[in-house]
Amino acid sequence: MKLNERQRDALSELINIAFARTGAALSELTGHRVLLEPPEVAVYRTAELRPALAKFVPGDVASIHQVFAGPIAGDALLLLNYAGAVQLTDLLTDGHQPSNFLDESAREVLTEVGNILLNACLGMFGNLLNVHVTFSVPRLHLETLDDLIESTTTEKTEMHYALVVYTAFQIRDSSVKGFLVIVLSVASLDRLIQEVDAWEAQQGR
Amino acid sequence: MGSAAGQMIGSMSETGSKETLLNAAVLHWMHDLAAQGIVTTDSELNIIEWNHWMEAHTGKRAPEVMGKNLLEVFPELRERRLDRNYKWALEGQVRVLSQALHGYLIAMSPVSGEHGYPQMQQAVRISPLSHDERIIGTLTIIEDVTERVAREAELQAQIEERSRLLSSEKLARSEAERANRLKDEFLATISHELRNPLNAILGWAHMMRLGKLTPANAERAVETIYRNAKSQAQLVADLLDVSRIISGKLRLDVRPVDLINIVNAAIDSIRPAVDAKGIRLQKLLDSAAGPISGDADRLQQIVWNLLTNAVKFTPKGGRIQVKVQRVDSHVEVVVSDSGVGISKEFLPYVFDRFRQADASTTRIHGGLGLGLSIVHQLVDLHGGSVSVQSEGEGKGATFTITLPFVGVISATPDAESDLVAKSDNVISLDGLPSLKGLKVLVVDDDADTRELIGEVLRECGSEVITSPSAAEALVALEQHKPDILISDLGMPDEDGYSLISQIRALPSERGGQIPAAALTAYARAEDRMRVLRSGFQFHLPKPVDSAELVTVVASLAGRAYESNHIEHKKNS
Repeated sequence: MKLNERQRDALSELINIAFARTGAALSELTGHRVLLEPPEVAVYRTAELRPALAKFVPGDVASIHQVFAGPIAGDALLLLNYAGAVQLTDLLTDGHQPSNFLDESAREVLTEVGNILLNACLGMFGNLLNVHVTFSVPRLHLETLDDLIESTTTEKTEMHYALVVYTAFQIRDSSVKGFLVIVLSVASLDRLIQEVDAWEAQQGR
Repeated sequence: MGSAAGQMIGSMSETGSKETLLNAAVLHWMHDLAAQGIVTTDSELNIIEWNHWMEAHTGKRAPEVMGKNLLEVFPELRERRLDRNYKWALEGQVRVLSQALHGYLIAMSPVSGEHGYPQMQQAVRISPLSHDERIIGTLTIIEDVTERVAREAELQAQIEERSRLLSSEKLARSEAERANRLKDEFLATISHELRNPLNAILGWAHMMRLGKLTPANAERAVETIYRNAKSQAQLVADLLDVSRIISGKLRLDVRPVDLINIVNAAIDSIRPAVDAKGIRLQKLLDSAAGPISGDADRLQQIVWNLLTNAVKFTPKGGRIQVKVQRVDSHVEVVVSDSGVGISKEFLPYVFDRFRQADASTTRIHGGLGLGLSIVHQLVDLHGGSVSVQSEGEGKGATFTITLPFVGVISATPDAESDLVAKSDNVISLDGLPSLKGLKVLVVDDDADTRELIGEVLRECGSEVITSPSAAEALVALEQHKPDILISDLGMPDEDGYSLISQIRALPSERGGQIPAAALTAYARAEDRMRVLRSGFQFHLPKPVDSAELVTVVASLAGRAYESNHIEHKKNS
């Protein structure tokens, strides 16, 4: 399943609205101007996910993971490399000295940030599809990329796709790149793309 | 399952009532036993559940708050814009409120005041409660993380302290490495500078030993050896000066001095070099300039250093001007030359120790780069200042020394205050007091030094006995009954201090009162003090000046020093 250019543009535009909300929420929360770079969207089969992400997140990854259920269902993750995760919490919490590990409080901050971003995106999808989506409590994982992908795609017999959205948090002259990964069933992705097409057509009128 | 309650639950026939019982047990657990705050509301945010933990920590009993709107019971939730989280929860979102970004949700006193937080620090989850895909309320779980946050802060502080220590240690190490590198470079320079004159000395001495030199060449050899040894002695003197200045041990012997005399003496001593290079030296000495207050030797050293520097860097046929003038309440000594000049980049470092504009091994001009640094320090000690101007490379340089002018009231010229300008020229032994009839015991473990001192003293007519050690010296003392003792201080086994204390313990008829002078390379003030306290009458710094040696021996023997016999061979 591939996105055509118009679909990709429309999806990027929709996600960018969610990103703007996330940026505004984080700015208010931290007192610093937080921006998220415009998204770059791609669709991969879950089997292709590992090589696609390995390039950007070598080594250990920090992920904030929420399972969502309802008429569309799947896994939503915010992925950061470990150093990026440390840097992001330092930037958000005014850490006086750069730390080099994530303590419990830092993990909690990451969980909150991931939660805000995932809620914004999935909430936007829910509105678009006019469906009600429920979320699990977000969980933070620190593991290798392989283990992470394994944990999201096991026990799923149905063919799955991953919507991969690249972005970067820009805070106080620093930039921390990250990925939003939404793993969906073929049916869910189909439905999402249909609605994106409809939205795009509506915008075009 | 052994308990009666367990059996009772197990034997229940209706699944429904079992579930009801379990739900009731869970609710009971949540209400009475949970170690977190648990609050549930309906979809209007009216409080439905307020557990025991919440009662204990907020001081609000369940009956007080049940059925009331959460945002009305805690209006600060709206003020802090945290009410939005409940709105989002009612839309189906789970919200996480981290301690780091929020501190707390509902103000509560910390369990213990020891961590210094005015409020209990909280980690919060706010979730929607739904039934049949319909959201019917919210669930808030509050966890007390005060203790954890305090421990994390301690750990972070420790890590920061450790990294601070690590970086300051790194800094200290790189500072030490830099100092070490400078020292290495300096050692390389000093070895080079000491070896150059040594080559000449060794070379000519070797030829003399072969005995194949013509008388003319032999004279030249001696002249060369003498000149090079002098230059080495100057290097060592400079090094000692620097070490004294660094350790703050340099003392000035301040008296009223006539600057004009000092400048003239310094000019005289560099005259041969000036003539050899065909340099035109112009003197502009204002007689109204003197007298000033200072150390005559050190002032001459200052002027001499500036002059030798000017000669060194001025090419053949160049020009040097020396000016002494009174300007307001100070006296200026200006030495300018038409030499190689100083680049703008190097000007600020001219007075730094061990700095020369050309530090390469192939440089044209030798030296340790100490002269100007010594000038700077000595001028400082005199309460004056030194500055340098140069228009750039090839455009000459001008050094200006400013010294405070002191109106000196001196009715009768004090013999000591008269400047005795030491000339660099050979002092003939001919004019020195006769040591005839004196018996001198010379003690030194170094055979060459023993020989040299013996030879100088014999030249002046004294009888000389030499001993290589303190033990042999004590024997010689009893055997030969010498009139004077000259002893080295640093000797293996027993040093000069030990020797003199043993001698001074002897009765006078066995030589206990023999006048004695100590020889040492350590010319520091405290060494001199120690020498005099230990029983010597004089302190002779190495390398020994022949005239000084003879004068000291004569003085120890109570013979008058006939100063008018000093003949300045080249100066007269």
